[in-house]
Amino acid sequence: MRIFSVLLIILLSACSIKKDEVALLNTTCDLAYSSYQATVTGYCQEAAADLPQSLNIINKRITIKPLNDIPEVFWFNKKMQYSLIKQDSQAPLIFIIAGTGASYESAKMKSLQKSFYQQGYHVISLSSPTFANFIVNSTNITYMPGDLAHDAEDLYRVMNLVWAQVQTEDEVEASSFSITGYSLGGAHSAFIALLDEQKQAFNFEKVLLINPPVSLYNSVTILDEYFDLRNNREAAVAMFDEIFARFSDGYAAQESSNFDQGSIFSLFKNANLTEAELKLLIGASFRMSSSDMIFALDASFNAGAITYKNHRINKFESLSHSMQRASDVTFGDYFDGAMLPRAQRLDASTTKADLIYRYSLHAIEDYLKTSKKIYLVTNQDDIILKAGEIDYLQSIFAERAKIFPRGGHCGNIDRISFVEYLQTTFQGGVN
Amino acid sequence: MRTFSNKWSSLLVILCTFLLVACSSAPRLESDAIAPRVKLPDNHEELGILSAYTDPWEGFNRRMYYFNAKADEYVVLPIIAGYQQITPDVIETGVSNFFNNLGEIATFINSLLQLKLSVAGETLTRFALNSTIGIAGLFDVATPIGLAEQDEDFGQTLGYWGVDAGPYLVLPLLGPSSLRDTAGLAFDNLIYQDVIDELKMNTEDELFISLLDAIDTRASLPFRYYASGSAFEYEHLKLLYKKYREIQVAR
Repeated sequence: MRIFSVLLIILLSACSIKKDEVALLNTTCDLAYSSYQATVTGYCQEAAADLPQSLNIINKRITIKPLNDIPEVFWFNKKMQYSLIKQDSQAPLIFIIAGTGASYESAKMKSLQKSFYQQGYHVISLSSPTFANFIVNSTNITYMPGDLAHDAEDLYRVMNLVWAQVQTEDEVEASSFSITGYSLGGAHSAFIALLDEQKQAFNFEKVLLINPPVSLYNSVTILDEYFDLRNNREAAVAMFDEIFARFSDGYAAQESSNFDQGSIFSLFKNANLTEAELKLLIGASFRMSSSDMIFALDASFNAGAITYKNHRINKFESLSHSMQRASDVTFGDYFDGAMLPRAQRLDASTTKADLIYRYSLHAIEDYLKTSKKIYLVTNQDDIILKAGEIDYLQSIFAERAKIFPRGGHCGNIDRISFVEYLQTTFQGGVN
Repeated sequence: MRTFSNKWSSLLVILCTFLLVACSSAPRLESDAIAPRVKLPDNHEELGILSAYTDPWEGFNRRMYYFNAKADEYVVLPIIAGYQQITPDVIETGVSNFFNNLGEIATFINSLLQLKLSVAGETLTRFALNSTIGIAGLFDVATPIGLAEQDEDFGQTLGYWGVDAGPYLVLPLLGPSSLRDTAGLAFDNLIYQDVIDELKMNTEDELFISLLDAIDTRASLPFRYYASGSAFEYEHLKLLYKKYREIQVAR
């Protein structure tokens, strides 16, 4: 989930032209801990793991469907993008699937790439099927992203094509295959593992779910509530202005006009955001990702929700109206207005409850219980989990579950104890 | 040389004015097009930050944004990549420091113009230290001893004295700006040009220096067009730019 990229935070980090980040990554912060804070700024109270500063990343593109079928407004998204990080010789290979609305090169993906490369893996990183570049390049025009079993089929097709491409173009030799993903990508990994039991293209050695939702519907309902424009627009808008004002005050009081990791932490410390404000940032960031997703779907499927139906969008055309419309659309709307009708078109007897069940780990519970290669890592206070879902995960994965007491949603992916856990779990893979 | 370029720039101004007004970004709808199902709120103010900034020159701006993205991909970034490949990191940093040091002069003048005496003092000390001990600015010796680099430009000075930002404007190759900040840029460039003139170089060397400066500026900017993958990148960047400048001016 692209939670870090609220407007505000992009503003802070994108404008920092100086590249001192690396040197400052090891600083811890003295922010007051909460699961929301950890979700937004990372679990910075714990020290960062010692990971490689940079990797030799090969950015790749692959044609999945005829490029002329891709709407003109996505001229910059022709061909699917992914990345490969290659070991010098034969090695185990791991696929990483990004979270909701996130690309193959999101900040969390980069942390995971470093960990697994350090562990001796070839790393192939794929965007989430909810990321615009994936949507507009996908051959799927029947199912809406978020439909986990069908997403898994889509991803599996892409993984096969990508694996063929890196073998011919980059001479990658894999001794075994593993798969992981964070957030929604974690849930995808589980469904892909199940699919692979039948198709057997990869015969995964290890599968790791990182901070997955148990039920997609429950998780997005939580995030929808953080950013409630429909019932409470005025309050939300006012709160945004207030947050901006406090950050700019902090910036004005700062010694230097530059930004680095340390000054971002101190800005957050001075802004002293309340729980409601942190939730607003998380919710707004989620809404930004889902706006991108809905626009890509609307343009590709000619669905006419936030764009004109039967209209070819010109590449110079203003999209502001679509963005403004999308800002109002909750995931709940998407579920009721797009996913459910589509499922019912294929099978009229499908109910909402059926879908909620189908888009959850409950649907493949038996497999998760018995398959010894599947592992789970999450945090006790992961904000996307409903009450009781942590216990559910513990009961399903039993000794294959690792639950950290703190970290919020994916806040500790690059922290010492999390990376140590990855090392112990994937130790066998290197041999 | 001067008159020649002046003539070109006035032509360019006329052309741009024409383009600014002439290009449209409104959708040209097919006869069977159906309006989007999700409605916009009746009261535009309800959108808050999403409608905080109007964009009267959007048609022009979007075309320029597209041009910039293409120019970046096919011309600018390959040049940057070549530069980074042939230049050792130490030299790259030195070049960066050198131009940053020249930039301190504009920062100094602008902080005086905004009556920010402590910023001006700090900048002047930095410039003095880096130009001498730092060997003509090749080394930044001031930052490690706690003299932070400041950033003041004439756009901010105008803002400080109450000049409104004016319409959003995407400049060729340079990207996001506003009417006010473009004027500011022109002024800062005059200062910079005077500094270069002080160095008494011949035309070829001046051209080389300008080119190197441009390359260095782009190389130190991590931004890549459409790396966000979002169809709304133009909107996001506009919002960020406007907001960021407001915050800078308020500083």
